[in-house]
Amino acid sequence: VAASAPTAGPGAAPVAHHFDNLRQQQATVRFGMWIFLITEVLFFGGALCAYTAYRIWFPREFEAGSAALNVGIATVNTFLLLTSSLTITLGIRACFVGDQAALRRWLLATIILGTAFLALKMREYHLDYQEGLIPNSQIVSAETRVRLAHSSAEERMNMIPFVENLKTILHEQEKYTGRNFEKEGVNFNRVQLFFMFYYSLTGLHVLHMIVGVGLLTWQFILASRGFFVYPDRYVYVEVMSLYWHFVDMVWIFLLPLLYLAGPHTGTQAIEQFLHALGFGH
Amino acid sequence: VADHAIKETIFEKDDHHAVAPAASYLTTFAVLVVLTVAQIGVGFSDLGPWKVVVALAIAVVQTGVLAYFFMDLRHADALTWLCAGAALFWLFILFTFTLTDYLTRHLLASPGPGALGGP
Repeated sequence: VAASAPTAGPGAAPVAHHFDNLRQQQATVRFGMWIFLITEVLFFGGALCAYTAYRIWFPREFEAGSAALNVGIATVNTFLLLTSSLTITLGIRACFVGDQAALRRWLLATIILGTAFLALKMREYHLDYQEGLIPNSQIVSAETRVRLAHSSAEERMNMIPFVENLKTILHEQEKYTGRNFEKEGVNFNRVQLFFMFYYSLTGLHVLHMIVGVGLLTWQFILASRGFFVYPDRYVYVEVMSLYWHFVDMVWIFLLPLLYLAGPHTGTQAIEQFLHALGFGH
Repeated sequence: VADHAIKETIFEKDDHHAVAPAASYLTTFAVLVVLTVAQIGVGFSDLGPWKVVVALAIAVVQTGVLAYFFMDLRHADALTWLCAGAALFWLFILFTFTLTDYLTRHLLASPGPGALGGP
């Protein structure tokens, strides 16, 4: 970030002393972010590569795991992120043409969309927790307790909580998808592998979203303090948007690989979303 | 002077192109929304083993549109294109070298006792 303080009204933005000119400084700022994004591509690439190997080994187990996820929240979240990619791009444009008020509005819109995504994701994690879809945990969901009410103590001794919770969910989803994974001979214990990928991939994505919302907030404060009085400083909004778009790209791959890998229907998505918001059953 | 001449060729980005009208961003957004609807449509249908192929193809196109228009690769200098290319190249290395190992190991696994012809 340029060190010198603004002296006069808008004009050419100050250039840090170690750069020859503004264009070189802007290109360097941009280059720095792109270099960082290369490391990010490989960071998520490693996890997705492991996912690929395991999915090829256990395709039906991954489909069963995916079938138990809340596809309603995922669908709404996809559109929230996509819209935020538009609003941040309009923010760069506003800065470029010197409209600081519009820049603040677009930054705020992006912050709101990102926060809404995170809020829905937290709600989803909470539902996953209540449903007992946590690998290697001893949680038995309320629905599973009802389902197993008539089984003997001896039978229950040999049950794995995760497997029983998953059976409860998949039994519930069968009315939408018509798929019976138990009859297909899926190894429910192994579905824990899918959930390991689900939590680590979405968890890393959420972490990136939190950093992104932090950066947006920081730029909103800068915008409120007149930092972007020089339209040339649009490049800082631009490089932050590069990161934000990258996080959107990761989600574009997580949606089909995690949420849509298994059987789902539109009705199910709508009902799951309404249920998550507290409507319906 | 020579030093500056070199830098000019590296940082070729031309900042003097006209500002794109806001409507052009809305067009990009509309394309992305249509692709997302297609992605969800594929997700809610039963294409068997082709589902993941079609889904990934749509995701790749979405990523391309996002990178080219929203991440402004279309106005980017050679260095930025090199970065994008490097990311894809190393991702290719990562997947190819890892999966050629993990997905072919069973071909070399021991078939069990007696493989060497025993008694």
